[in-house]
Amino acid sequence: MTGSLLDQARRLLDLAGKVFDEPAQRDLLVAARVRLEEPLRVAIAGKVKAGKSTLLNALVGERLAPTDTGECTRIVTWYRDGLTYQVMGRRRDGSTLPLRFERADTAIEIDLGSHAATDLEALEVTWPSSRLRRTTLIDTPGVGSLSTEVANRTFEFLDPDETDSPADAVLFLMKHVHRSDLDLLEAFHDTSMALPNAVNAIAVLSRADEVGAGRLDAMGSARRIARRYGEDARIRRLVQVVVPVAGLLAETAATLTETEFGHLRALAAVDASSLESYLLSADRFIEAEPSTPLTSLERAWLLERLGIYGLRIALVVLRRHREMTSGRLAEELRRRSGVTELSELLSTLFVERSDALKARTALLTVERLCATSPTRPGAEGVAAALEEMTANAHPFNELSTLAALRSGWVAARAPVIADLERTLGARGAAPAARLGLDSDDVEHLRVEALAQIARWQRLAENPMTSRDLAVAIQVAVRSLEGVVVELTSRLA
Amino acid sequence: MTAATGEQPSRDVASREGRIGALVRFGIDASRAYGREDLAERLSSLQDRLETPAVQIVVVGEFKQGKSSLINALINAEVCPVDDDIATALPTVVRHGATSRAHVVRAYDEFAEPVRERIDMAAVSDLVTERGDGTRDVSGVEIEIDRRFLAAGVMLIDTPGVGGLGAAHGTATLGALALADAAIFVTDASQELTAPELAFLGRARELCPVMVGVLTKIDLSASWPKVLERNRDHLERAGVGVDMLAVSSLLRTEAVRRRDRRMNEESGYPALLHHLTATAITGARERLESRAVTDVVDVVDSLRVAFDAELAVLEDPQTAAAITRRLEAEQAAAEERRGLAARWSTALNDGITDLTSDVEHDFRLRVRRLVHEADEILDGGDPAELWAEFEPWLTNRMSQEVLANYELMSARTEKLSAQVAELFGLDGAEALRDIASSDVSGRVSEVELRPELARGGGGGLDAGLTALRGGYGGVMMFTMLGSMVGIALGPLALGVGLVMGRKGIRDEKQRRVGQRRQQAKSAARKYCDEVSIQVTKDARDMLRRIQRHLRDHYARRGDEVLRSINDTLRAAKEAAHTDAAERPARIADLRAELERLSRLRERAEACR
Repeated sequence: MTGSLLDQARRLLDLAGKVFDEPAQRDLLVAARVRLEEPLRVAIAGKVKAGKSTLLNALVGERLAPTDTGECTRIVTWYRDGLTYQVMGRRRDGSTLPLRFERADTAIEIDLGSHAATDLEALEVTWPSSRLRRTTLIDTPGVGSLSTEVANRTFEFLDPDETDSPADAVLFLMKHVHRSDLDLLEAFHDTSMALPNAVNAIAVLSRADEVGAGRLDAMGSARRIARRYGEDARIRRLVQVVVPVAGLLAETAATLTETEFGHLRALAAVDASSLESYLLSADRFIEAEPSTPLTSLERAWLLERLGIYGLRIALVVLRRHREMTSGRLAEELRRRSGVTELSELLSTLFVERSDALKARTALLTVERLCATSPTRPGAEGVAAALEEMTANAHPFNELSTLAALRSGWVAARAPVIADLERTLGARGAAPAARLGLDSDDVEHLRVEALAQIARWQRLAENPMTSRDLAVAIQVAVRSLEGVVVELTSRLA
Repeated sequence: MTAATGEQPSRDVASREGRIGALVRFGIDASRAYGREDLAERLSSLQDRLETPAVQIVVVGEFKQGKSSLINALINAEVCPVDDDIATALPTVVRHGATSRAHVVRAYDEFAEPVRERIDMAAVSDLVTERGDGTRDVSGVEIEIDRRFLAAGVMLIDTPGVGGLGAAHGTATLGALALADAAIFVTDASQELTAPELAFLGRARELCPVMVGVLTKIDLSASWPKVLERNRDHLERAGVGVDMLAVSSLLRTEAVRRRDRRMNEESGYPALLHHLTATAITGARERLESRAVTDVVDVVDSLRVAFDAELAVLEDPQTAAAITRRLEAEQAAAEERRGLAARWSTALNDGITDLTSDVEHDFRLRVRRLVHEADEILDGGDPAELWAEFEPWLTNRMSQEVLANYELMSARTEKLSAQVAELFGLDGAEALRDIASSDVSGRVSEVELRPELARGGGGGLDAGLTALRGGYGGVMMFTMLGSMVGIALGPLALGVGLVMGRKGIRDEKQRRVGQRRQQAKSAARKYCDEVSIQVTKDARDMLRRIQRHLRDHYARRGDEVLRSINDTLRAAKEAAHTDAAERPARIADLRAELERLSRLRERAEACR
């Protein structure tokens, strides 16, 4: 098979459609086909109260998802880009119905009317937004506390290669627990949307501001913790990277109003020692003396929106730069919340690779059909085509090699593994990212790519190199050859 | 304590303390005056404990809830290291001392007694936190600091919250709690109590006499009153009778720095200190004081016996022969009671032997069951996939088994201790009944060695518990479980062939799963073996300590009783030979002595 990955996947689905033509099977294949043409689906998973809706709002840049525990957060809610504003409810039988909704001053309020929340499988919110153009976001109700279960017995990690799932990629929101804590992996038990896998998942240390007791350096501590988690073998095989995000601050930064900005400015003008005294505790801030510029209701609102960490940061920034506009402040808060970094990661790790991830999802559907009805006439042919496509499509090889490397299935020294992962696109698919260089000089990159190919080949030919490692190197070399081709065409 | 915090003990407590102190001093003086150094010694050791009581307060809670900050804020000193990321890894004991200094407790190998070594205060932080490397032989850190709150004998123990309360460390913490006088349970205001926290509190409540919940970090969010209220609801619904107070360590530190009384009140710490004083410290003191009162009464009674007998003989010389006979019989019994063949002694030795083998058998059974369960789990999947969860599961289950075994041991020890006490008392009491039922005059029945006296006072249960708690019992238990958890299971080699093509990978996986299972199973077995060796040895040591302690305790009491009987016998014999002319004067003297002892006894009774 030739052509782009998506074309190959389309052709494979067409071929499968001819063989698996029972209504249920056809529905599955049609759905897979539709999915290929849609934006990448990213689910936000994790425990209840981990801050999933807050993070979703921060990523969209609007307060769409209700962040208090209302009826709607108990239903899986899809947020996708579209031409008009509409909300549909999807029943368990697959039928849909339009729902009335209202955009209050905060989140969307959906009127379920006479329908019980339990009748609905999902809500679909269509919302014109540029941020939703390349990814569809899925807000999940999250799993409850599993601790007791986990402690007793939960050894049901399925083989990630053998199931399909509603989402192409997942953000797992995890909390700060000790690395020997059973709860460490709790977030990844939320497998309703997609199984954790080193190629399609990112972990987010959410509520990062609470790590450092709301002090100004809280994010620094959170970053250190996230880095350590990222090096934990158990987490490495489940996600690509762990990033800290102060969700509330990120959400508020994306939705800061002029009134709120005005209030912050007024507070920033208060003399330093009184301000420090107010900011000692939440109670003190709200109940501050009458001489402070705002009413206690207004202060309570600011606290709710920013949290004590956000308040401290915002006021420090405003005091340092008195001429700052609300837009610049929002940008600064966004950056400090860690959400900017997360968005960049989403784009390099998921969006740039979205064709491969989406095609992978389509292939999983076909594979499952082949496995469940292997005796159907023609099924063998489909399975063979599937096998051929899987084996020959280099992006898939990259993904599975990457997963194997991160699972610790290849024995090699850590720096070698790290270099291999980078070459396979663990930090982004752009040539410079794969080569580990910070340069735009195309010629320089090309020379370096050729040098790296030579180095890897020498290592692969070394008799001391294990067979596993040699295979992984072959895949990496092929990736580098792709880089060279791309750079050469750019030169020309 | 700074002036701003101003926590004063109440006047009432002070005067009661004074009364009991005076009572014990009188008891000592009286014992010496009547030539009973043995009784005086018993009261002096009690006096020492009254003057320097030890109240162990263990601070427990999940990881990163602010346990170390709470201790620092309680005593206004940065003694326990606090960090956002790195957690406390070793139990840290904070106690009173005239100068600030720190010691590290090392156990160089498992068979040696732990050694205390002086270290620099600045080194504490690196040692206690997880930064500390290569400190596997360190089992704890002790910090001494001059603080009034601690001067009352309070020892604050900071525990590592690692691993979660549902896991192995949580179980270890429970073990430490069982031996403490009081516990502070710490949870922060960012979240309501979780299911594992509630379960932990429920069990801890059963194990520890005094428990208080503390909601920390209330400075971070304005919604803390709601969380506090919900936590109280949770506790009530779960039927856990634990009170909950709210504090802010940040405000406390600021208040002390600024000498701001109002802010200090706002931090919630004065209320917490007051609560601890009213419950834990007073509770421990009251237990000790009631022990003191009982002992003084016993000593008075021991002293009275001789006077009573002498008086009876003087008043009615006819009874002399009968009294002497009875006392001689009892003397023989008391002699026997001291010997190795005494029933209590046999019961103790046999009991400890049985107990040792029962405890070991129980643990072996538990481990066998656990190994079986582990095998089943490993057979049910690929260890490569399961291991991440299997490993904590195994250590967690193991520590639960250790705790259950320990609970069995401590329950059985208490029973044995009570049994020994009863046998010791019974032997005495039988002799007494003989005296009472004899034909001697009514006066003689008053000579009865009261059952409490015969039993050697104090109650046998208490003696057993003291042996269990002894010194650092709590901390040792913690480190024992802690070091056990640290046994490494070793990495599981995952040499799975990286073969392209799905079919290939699947076959390869199948082929290697079996191999990995064997490897995982033997790692699990090795771990269980190592734990068994350690636990069995610790249990033996502990039982041997208990045996020695109980033996010494009752032997001493036996000596005291014998001495009382000997004195009484001598007094009775001498009385029989007293001149009729001297009798009235001697009778008056004895009455006066008895009157004095009665007054002391009344005063002691009034303190009950």
